[in-house]
Amino acid sequence: MVSEIWTEKYRPSKFSEVVGQDEVMKRVESLTNSLNIPHLLFAGPAGTGKSTLALIIVKELFKENWKENYLELNASDERGINVVREKVKNFARTKSLGTIPFKIIFLDEADALTPEAQQALRRTMENYSTTCRFILSCNYSSKIIDPIQSRCALFRFKLLEKKDIEKVIQKIIQRENLTITPEAIEKIYEGSEGDCRRCINLLQSTSSISPSITADLVSTILSDAKPKDIKVVLDYAISGDFQNAREKLFDVMLRESISGQDVVKAIQKEIWNLPVEPEIKVKLTEKTGEAEFRIVEGSDPFIQLQALLASFVLAGLGK
Amino acid sequence: MQWTEKYRPKFFGDIKGQNLAVEKIREFIKKPDLKEALILHGPPGTGKTALAYVTANEINAEIFELNASDLRNKEKMKEILRPAIEQKSLSKINKLILVDEIDGVSEVDRGGLTELMNLINISSYPIIMTANNIWNKKFSAIRKKCELVQLKEIDYKTIKDVLIFILRKEKNFVDNDILTNIAIKAKGDLRAAINDLQVIAGMEEPSILTDERNKEVDIFSALRLIFKGKPTNDVLKTFDSVNMSTDEIILWIEENIPAEYHGEALARAYDLLSKVDIFKRRIYRQQYWRFLLYENIFLSYGISSSKKETKNLGFTSYKKPTRILKIWMNNQRTAKKKSIAQKYSKYVHVGEKRALKEFPLIKKIILSNPKIKKELKLDEDEIVYLKG
Repeated sequence: MVSEIWTEKYRPSKFSEVVGQDEVMKRVESLTNSLNIPHLLFAGPAGTGKSTLALIIVKELFKENWKENYLELNASDERGINVVREKVKNFARTKSLGTIPFKIIFLDEADALTPEAQQALRRTMENYSTTCRFILSCNYSSKIIDPIQSRCALFRFKLLEKKDIEKVIQKIIQRENLTITPEAIEKIYEGSEGDCRRCINLLQSTSSISPSITADLVSTILSDAKPKDIKVVLDYAISGDFQNAREKLFDVMLRESISGQDVVKAIQKEIWNLPVEPEIKVKLTEKTGEAEFRIVEGSDPFIQLQALLASFVLAGLGK
Repeated sequence: MQWTEKYRPKFFGDIKGQNLAVEKIREFIKKPDLKEALILHGPPGTGKTALAYVTANEINAEIFELNASDLRNKEKMKEILRPAIEQKSLSKINKLILVDEIDGVSEVDRGGLTELMNLINISSYPIIMTANNIWNKKFSAIRKKCELVQLKEIDYKTIKDVLIFILRKEKNFVDNDILTNIAIKAKGDLRAAINDLQVIAGMEEPSILTDERNKEVDIFSALRLIFKGKPTNDVLKTFDSVNMSTDEIILWIEENIPAEYHGEALARAYDLLSKVDIFKRRIYRQQYWRFLLYENIFLSYGISSSKKETKNLGFTSYKKPTRILKIWMNNQRTAKKKSIAQKYSKYVHVGEKRALKEFPLIKKIILSNPKIKKELKLDEDEIVYLKG
């Protein structure tokens, strides 16, 4: 069945279809053709093709049996290294099906594991090295401990360039019978920050509004996807309406599930846009710093934030 | 008769709010060879034991129940179990062995866990175990042998539906607000909710707030004294008569400061409250309970002295703090968001955290095409959440 989710529908299934990682593809393809691969380490930003390449490798190696011989885990989602090890153990217990003498385990976001957990992972890799090959993915290879790095062949994935993203977009536009302006492509590229998955998601959610995609439409989608600003909260506080300020703040925090520290960061940036005297801006910055300190020291960030909002009420009175 | 007994579910169809678990168990009993064991795990009152009994009923089996202390007694185990597991041919009746609450089995204690492992290995009858926390290290060996079925906290709407169902059967009536209150207070524990309901429905004037209302009278007059009165040494004793924990009092003060204080008084009062919060953390971290004294002084005398003059002498209606309840209800709601992200992330090979971060975009994509909802196997509740 063909998926209706475009990131799946247009996921490359051959080495040649992957855009922007020519060097990596060439090397991995020849490794795969030899039917024997070492452990692999894929390092690079999100949405550059790491999971895709892992999937292509297993499909090339195992053909229609790939599902039985492939285990995909995400280190940041599993409950710690023990769960990872157990799943690996269960999977590695049985022999692989078909002619390839090993199975493949893809551990996504391996850099989410602590160094201690990575040590444990290293042991696991050794214990099952006869029956399994590991493909690890990470954003930064420096976060992977040396003993693991030395056991893997390292491949670095680059951020996608504009021409790559454009290629992907044009292909989808054609297949889905859409139209797009050059400005909209530019906007999507900016919004995606070189992340191909995000670029396709942006394209699909924009196309749900209209089949002719313009820069304005993309902008609407982008601003919807951004957390609402803290400015409204501060405007209430400066105007003396503490009740509404705190209600709004609580709302934003719940809805966007942002932490107290994130709020403080946003407030600190917003101070410079407030209609108050320079000396008050300095005072508010000091209060904000104190609030951040107290959030770290205290137990309930929302109480600390209310205390900070009360300082903004005072600032509104010129004090 | 206890309603929890009277309305104990009999068939899979009677089990509410645990569709995923029921589905997994159906799979389990469909397998022709029932040699494996199954662990039902989850918080209290989510239906673990009930589900085990329902399973037995659905496969026409007799339940053979063991508890942790039976396991410890090796002689007894031999005596009871051998016939039960080895003489299958003698009796035609199916048996299902239930080991309830294996959390109580200790690893050092005369090999209770070893015995449990043996049982799993030799039994020719299916075994169902229940546990609150299966992630304890001592269960690592057992976990490998068993199919794990997680029972989730039941969401408050489902609990409320069950309560309404029972009331109809009992031809009884309880006010809607009270039902909502019971359902929320139960925090996912259906058994606790049904027990509460039975107590309340039996009262002349149903009200669950009796206990809480008394408290509120005290806190209201305490707040009035602090906010409206002058700071005197008597104010220091205000909270002695309030039957409430300091943490709760903090929330009441927090909620009501802006109803009384403005401008500088407001800022001073919140500054003190912020210090109280820091002391609170220090108590937790260092277990140094004397800090409670400072919390108390700031909360009473401190807050009272934050105002320069006492001019707001009129009546103020103080509000009950709702922040914690709102956070809890929001978590209930985001539970759906999480389960959607989970399904999505498995399907498109991306991490769950990443999916949550991109949720606004993902939501639009899912809603844009009905086929995607099917592809991801979203359930009714999840679709309602997305549309809401």
